[in-house]
Amino acid sequence: MQDAEIGSLVKAAADGDKDAWRALVGQFSGLVWSITRAYRLGDADAADVCQTAWLRLAENIHRLNHPERVGAWLATATRRECLRNIRVSARTVPAEDMTWFDVPDDDNPTEEAVLAAEREREAAQRGKALRRALGQLSARCRQLLRVLMASPPPSYTDVAAALDMPVGSIGPTRARCLDRLRNELATGIKDGPTPSYE
Amino acid sequence: MSDEQDDELESELRQLAARSDPVPLLVIQAAIDAFSWRDIDTELAELIFDSLLDQDPATLVRGTAERRMISFETPELTVDVEVSSAGPGRSVMGQIIPAQPARVDVRQRDGVATADADELGRFRSEGLHAGPMSLRLHPAANGAGPEVVTDWISI
Repeated sequence: MQDAEIGSLVKAAADGDKDAWRALVGQFSGLVWSITRAYRLGDADAADVCQTAWLRLAENIHRLNHPERVGAWLATATRRECLRNIRVSARTVPAEDMTWFDVPDDDNPTEEAVLAAEREREAAQRGKALRRALGQLSARCRQLLRVLMASPPPSYTDVAAALDMPVGSIGPTRARCLDRLRNELATGIKDGPTPSYE
Repeated sequence: MSDEQDDELESELRQLAARSDPVPLLVIQAAIDAFSWRDIDTELAELIFDSLLDQDPATLVRGTAERRMISFETPELTVDVEVSSAGPGRSVMGQIIPAQPARVDVRQRDGVATADADELGRFRSEGLHAGPMSLRLHPAANGAGPEVVTDWISI
């Protein structure tokens, strides 16, 4: 979505247009969710942070100085909420590293999975290889890639706001991290096949 | 590697996230519903200090999660809030500055709890839940200021 289009959606929502608000949710809920995962929040905490970020935007939407930069505004609000959340839960439950990597459990396929089509099986194996390769990357790479994995793809400005990084460093860091991921994928294949279902 | 190959790998990762970690529907619904909470006729008290993130300028230390200090501000008034946690429960103690009586609505997703700020501007609300919270202040009948809502925060 172009900046101008995003800017008009924000202005329309500020005037009370519910459809414009829905369109903004459609555009940015993936980004907000991905940021909570990049900061390794579990499901309940991630849901709280997302809701807080959207409530805060609703309260501020008619006050934004740069409506077209609402993505970066949301990303910043989400990042700060994630950091608060991490400080609160640090004393209780240590956050699992990349919680979502654990799903699904492909080692114990259900009958349904066994019966699934060959293409799905391959996709699952590829997904597993990707998750394993991601797990071998540095925390910084995993964090950046998880934000970039948002649907629809976030702008580098929004990614920079999510991670408090200079916009200019996103592209080069992304290229490095993807290179490392590619190496890990190749290493994984060399070291042996992923456990087979047969 | 070429930009094209990078884009392809990124797109593959995006599909993986969409399959194994999609945005939960409840999270999307909550985002849509957030719009109905907006309150455009009130003044916004912005979050200006949170001891969990910001160092206390006097002591240069951050607060603990058990005793979290938060400040909201409009040009006319400040609301200082202390959030305490006990298990999943939360309570808040607040102070409106300058001191004034007011009705204070503690807004959470499952409802609104009402507290009264006394002549000294002090209020207290217990039995709250972890999750998003915002305060709405209604000045007493003889109060001077406008209605005020605070930024949403997670408590």
